[in-house]
Amino acid sequence: MIDKNLLDVQTLLRRNGILISFSGRLSQQLIEEYGEAVKTYLESENRPKNEIFHIFSIFIELTQNIKNYGTAKTDSPFYDKIVQSSIITIGKDGQGSYICAGNLVEGPDLEVLTARIDELSGLNKDELKTLYKDRLKRSEPEFGAGVGLIDMARKSSHALQYSVTPAEGNLSFFTLKAVV
Amino acid sequence: MGSIRHIQIEGTRSTPEVRFDPERHILAIRGQSYPENAFAFYEPLLKWLDEYLAELTAETTVEIELQLPYINTTSTKCFLMFLEKLDGAFKEGKRVSVRWLYDEENESELECAEEFKEDLVLPFEIVPKAAE
Repeated sequence: MIDKNLLDVQTLLRRNGILISFSGRLSQQLIEEYGEAVKTYLESENRPKNEIFHIFSIFIELTQNIKNYGTAKTDSPFYDKIVQSSIITIGKDGQGSYICAGNLVEGPDLEVLTARIDELSGLNKDELKTLYKDRLKRSEPEFGAGVGLIDMARKSSHALQYSVTPAEGNLSFFTLKAVV
Repeated sequence: MGSIRHIQIEGTRSTPEVRFDPERHILAIRGQSYPENAFAFYEPLLKWLDEYLAELTAETTVEIELQLPYINTTSTKCFLMFLEKLDGAFKEGKRVSVRWLYDEENESELECAEEFKEDLVLPFEIVPKAAE
């Protein structure tokens, strides 16, 4: 049965235009390994350099955000579930190359997160830049700049898209998609 | 400046190479930066810079050489703090200048350099690597 399952996985990946995917617990080392692999892979496809830089950059911000979120949830009863829940994909669809990532998020955090993304969706490039610089100046370095989402929005050609699927307890599976 | 030590840190995949030479007055940072904890990496460098700038006289010329193809947002925050310290020294009359070498095919890198430059008054040169 295992080979049949694997074929199903491959069919699903192909159908969604997914070139690269990683599912499971993230570590800094994995982020570095995958980040470099993504870059090398895209270079081998002769993509424009800017596109490669943007994909790499969004990949790093997204994966580090997800990993840091897990680290911040050490005291949560759902800690293990949250850190195991991450999935990152890079693919291509009608809009262009995209990075799409998902993970389990607790209720109150989800509200903060979606409000932040909604705030960005109506802004043009200049407004995003102003907001980015302002937040960067006011952020505390010890707690992360907290400006990763704005940076991702700036490097995307479309507004950031997200979806929320309720899971057990107060958890939801949250996905974020950035199109380059 | 005898009391201030040299800093030599080799680069890794996620941290840049750092060469701070308090005798030749050249401070160089080169490479990608996206460590797990950017502040832990940059905090000792920021402290070093405070000490170095405090002892710096108005006769000395300091050159800062940056080559940063990719820096994540938390590293960007650290660089902002680093550059603001240098800008402060310049405003006090010290001779501090920045030179940023970038890859012409990397628009993000140029944009990053330009955005730092916008908010600073110190001499800040942005040079394509091919022009070297």
